Amino acid sequence: MSSTDSINGLAFPTLAGAALEAKPSGIEREVIALYGQFRVPLLRYALSLGLPVHDAEEVIQEAFLSLFRHLQLRRSRANLRGWLFRVTHNLGLKQLYGNQRLDAKTTADWTIAKEQLDPSPDPEEELLSAQRHHRLQAVVRALPENDQRCLRLRAEGLRYREIATILGMSLGAVSISLTRSLARLARADGR
Amino acid sequence: MLHKNPHLSMRHISDEDLVRSADGELSSRRAAEVDVHLEACWDCRARMQDIQSTMTDFVRAHHAEFDGQLPPAAGARALLRARLAELGSKSRPGWWKRVVQLELPRVAVIGLPLIATAIGIFWFRQGTLQGSSSTTALFNSEVTPNRSLTPGAAREVAISELCSAPQEQVVADVSVSLRQRVFREYGIANARLEDYEIDYLIAPRLGGAEDIRNLWPEPYSGHVWNARVKDALEERLHEMVCSGQLDLHTAQNEIATDWIAAYRKYFHTNEPLPLNS
Repeated sequence: MSSTDSINGLAFPTLAGAALEAKPSGIEREVIALYGQFRVPLLRYALSLGLPVHDAEEVIQEAFLSLFRHLQLRRSRANLRGWLFRVTHNLGLKQLYGNQRLDAKTTADWTIAKEQLDPSPDPEEELLSAQRHHRLQAVVRALPENDQRCLRLRAEGLRYREIATILGMSLGAVSISLTRSLARLARADGR
Repeated sequence: MLHKNPHLSMRHISDEDLVRSADGELSSRRAAEVDVHLEACWDCRARMQDIQSTMTDFVRAHHAEFDGQLPPAAGARALLRARLAELGSKSRPGWWKRVVQLELPRVAVIGLPLIATAIGIFWFRQGTLQGSSSTTALFNSEVTPNRSLTPGAAREVAISELCSAPQEQVVADVSVSLRQRVFREYGIANARLEDYEIDYLIAPRLGGAEDIRNLWPEPYSGHVWNARVKDALEERLHEMVCSGQLDLHTAQNEIATDWIAAYRKYFHTNEPLPLNS
């Protein structure tokens, strides 16, 4: 990851000669459009890393500023979604490890999340589904970190090859991890 | 396990291959083999359905876990726009930079007189800009309230109440008598009343009270830091308070102390953002 060095002060590479003819206003519009498309899945993934909401939102902002630089320097446009998840993953972990107040804030955010869950029209159904969700969430949180991330990235629609690149694993390891995690979730659900 | 039936003439499918098949991650040859086997084998098909149900349940639990925490996009998008615009303006090379980088030798001879002229223009414009900055400072002194008259006042209110009420329910019209008292307090003559609106320093949606200590005459327009810019700040602070990113008392204190400084802090910009962003 060359262009994503820190959350609070990104060290961007110097502008290359190739970018002299770039049209930043067009790139700005493109980045904003991609932000509209991918903000929610990226934010969900950043939150799943254990970041508080505010930090997660900030990580996403930094990821898109990096994307702006990336496009301005006319670097590869192949699979920008995978690129964004990769940058979000790296920035998110950096922020997570540097966050001294993580535990307290995460607890607060969990409370808010529980309060803000959409009510289901049927209270019984809501209770049952909430209980199942909590059980599955507890099983997921008990999985090894890398297995959790594999599962979350797959749930956000990433392909095995993309997950392997983001997490620095082999394709086979992704497949084994997902199979193992799904088996644990199935057992927890009494399947 | 081997089967005599030609359709089952292979071992049962492993869990890993079933997962990869469900995810479309098998080679086409292996995917075809798995499909043929699944057509014939109820056991593997039942396992496949269990795997797919588990995937579905996990996706729902994953969304339920985080979707309730996602803050509204509008404020964050406006902030990103501002940052991109700033980044774009910093990195955009001027024509002079290209000349220096690419054509310096040729330009040197004919360019020196031009450069001298450009320096003159630059100094002239700097002088003008500094002049306009002073003007902005004068404007700013008008668009922030007199703190001794309007220190800000908040009412006792629960965050849940502020965050659940629609905007129109929390914005109250200030009574005529109270408006007149505010104008008198600020010594604004009747002839100029139409140039001002009475605004809450701490907005009602941030818990601001309808109290003379929280009201001041704010210029309608003609200023960079006008009421609409303040509305954008109130919206952002409201979002941050409701998403748990900012403490309500901090938001109230910051907007009451210096709303322009608060705007700069929370939008990461020295100048107000375009109002359509």
